[in-house]
Amino acid sequence: MSPLRTERSGRFLLHLVLGAGSLLMIVPFVWMLLSSVKNRADIAAYPPKILPTEWLWSNYPEAMGFAPFGTYFRNSLTIAVGHTALNLVVASMAGYALARIAFRGRTLIFFGVMTMMMIPTYTKIVPQYLIAKSVPFFGGNDWLGRGGTGWLDSWWALIIPGALTPFAIFLFRQFYLALPKELEEAARIDGMGEFGIFARVMTPLVKPAIATVALLTFEGSWNNFLWPLLVTTSDELRVVQVGLAAFQQAERTEWAYLMAGSALATLPMIVLFLFTQRYFVQGFATAGIK
Amino acid sequence: MRTAAAAVLAVAVLASGCGGPAPSSGQGTGGEPQGEISLVTPIFEGSDGQRVLEEQLAAFRKQYPKVRVRPDYTNYAKLNEKLTTSMVSGRAYDVMLLGIGWVPPFAGRLLADLGMDRAELAKTYSPRAVDAGVHDGKVYALPVMLDMRFGIYRKDLFAAAGITAPPRTFAELRDHARRLTVRDASGKLQRAGMDVLSTDPRQVYETLLWAAGGDLFTPDGKVAFNSPNAVRGLELMTDLIRTDRALDIGFTKVGDTSIPIITDRAAMALGHNNLWLEIQAQRPELIAQDKIGTFVITDERPAMFQGGTLASMSASGKNKPAALALVKFLASADASLAASSQRGNVPAVRSLESSSYVKENAFVRFAMSNMDSAFSEGGVPGWLNIRNDFKAAIESALLGQKSPKEALDELAARAATQVSGR
Repeated sequence: MSPLRTERSGRFLLHLVLGAGSLLMIVPFVWMLLSSVKNRADIAAYPPKILPTEWLWSNYPEAMGFAPFGTYFRNSLTIAVGHTALNLVVASMAGYALARIAFRGRTLIFFGVMTMMMIPTYTKIVPQYLIAKSVPFFGGNDWLGRGGTGWLDSWWALIIPGALTPFAIFLFRQFYLALPKELEEAARIDGMGEFGIFARVMTPLVKPAIATVALLTFEGSWNNFLWPLLVTTSDELRVVQVGLAAFQQAERTEWAYLMAGSALATLPMIVLFLFTQRYFVQGFATAGIK
Repeated sequence: MRTAAAAVLAVAVLASGCGGPAPSSGQGTGGEPQGEISLVTPIFEGSDGQRVLEEQLAAFRKQYPKVRVRPDYTNYAKLNEKLTTSMVSGRAYDVMLLGIGWVPPFAGRLLADLGMDRAELAKTYSPRAVDAGVHDGKVYALPVMLDMRFGIYRKDLFAAAGITAPPRTFAELRDHARRLTVRDASGKLQRAGMDVLSTDPRQVYETLLWAAGGDLFTPDGKVAFNSPNAVRGLELMTDLIRTDRALDIGFTKVGDTSIPIITDRAAMALGHNNLWLEIQAQRPELIAQDKIGTFVITDERPAMFQGGTLASMSASGKNKPAALALVKFLASADASLAASSQRGNVPAVRSLESSSYVKENAFVRFAMSNMDSAFSEGGVPGWLNIRNDFKAAIESALLGQKSPKEALDELAARAATQVSGR
């Protein structure tokens, strides 16, 4: 067999395996979309029906009417965008400082960041809640953080506690570490200050890290359920994941509505991924993270 | 995770019990309740549920125009976390809707004694429902609505198998299940004789345990769910699956979209009362053609599993008069009917047996007419810490890894140290 034919066969096999893998990945998503337009009998049918007997597109508006999803989507978007913007700005600065600026205690701080990544979210809930409740001068609190509700049931509690993630700091640090020192030195010779070097020379070179952090932060924030549920009491501040949970009652689940709501809730993530996938994949490959 | 949350909640109860502001009277000059109170509710989900609660709160406002209620909606899965965080921050909800089984762990610390008489309440509510809110002789919560689990069977499949009546003993249940089971030539299960896998395994086991004459705990709070009678409950489950092969592990599971008793894949099942709504939505012809029957699981005695939602108020609340007024209102006939009909559940108020909602829902009607057979889980302060351990023990017996007695003995040994803990 000629080398060309061998290469073609290999490529065909590779595409076959990748195609099968892709199909396997997309099946749950397709099943969700199909279930979102089924009636109750079709969803409960055994053996399962792949296609709906009747295509109930009305499940979508009905699902959206099940709870104030307009408000929930707006809130989720505001929080996710807020988290992403803040995380990109602050974590990139922190990552840059840890990677490129020599100062006493740098290693210790980096270990601290790494340690924070290892603390399970669940164990932080109550202390974090108490901190949010005890923020001085907010929600009727005095200067010692007593007497009022602090940040609870406000946008502050929804945005600030999740605005900076140790993972983002770690990722940015790894990327800034990989950049050549000569760039920094050349900029310094040209008279550029530290912030200029960070913002105008180094950061434009870590686009994969920016895309990766942006996507992961947005995804984590968009899918957050427990924290928004705990720190809010009014419906005006609830998020889309809390709305989706309403479809699952203790002893009954509205599957069609849940699937319709989930399909809509997934859309922003898909759109974001389509825009950032090139850098995103590059980011993971460069950082050696799976 | 829920066990961990329960442990955190228990610590929080202890911590919050050490301080907190002194409650104010919350009464106007004429002695009427007034002010703002908070309510946390794991029911009334979605727009429909919210609409029902808002209508009820509007009716409450007519009775108590000076009281404003601030509801906070959650679900049962996250109620524990909501209560934990609210308590540690000193913002305990004034009124709480809780599940049956939650009263003993929090009685007196989180929950206030309502100062009511059990015997007097039993005139309005089923005595078994009242008992769910009683601990150490004091009433801490009033029943709003109930979730019952009982036997459901397919009359058409019974007739085809020549069976004329639902089972009255465990022996009959096994015999019926064997006769109703259908497998194809290769031995693959086509129809289960008795489905005990679509409902939470702990709740199934408890129902069978009570029917076998057993109890979860002794009156003085000792573990009793590994007594000989109690073990018979789990033995029935293992016999149905492992000996009689009336059901296969994996044939169905809790939360499946396809419910076997509705889709002709099971002839009998232990199911929840709101299956009636599922049947109405999925296969209304089963109701129209009178193909669905109900029975109380019986052996030594008849037993139905009784879950439900209770209304209680905070022991550290600042506005107890208003909170108590809301608790009483939520457990009133109108509110109970509204909450129950929104979810297909069983109203706790006895007089509602004559309501059109109950008359039109055969499962609810059946449950209300058999309330004397209702049993509730829990009963000890440490219940929330141990209840999630039942599933693994039951599954180990169903899979044949341990005998029912071994599985329950091991569970009992682990639970013995936790039953009295809060």
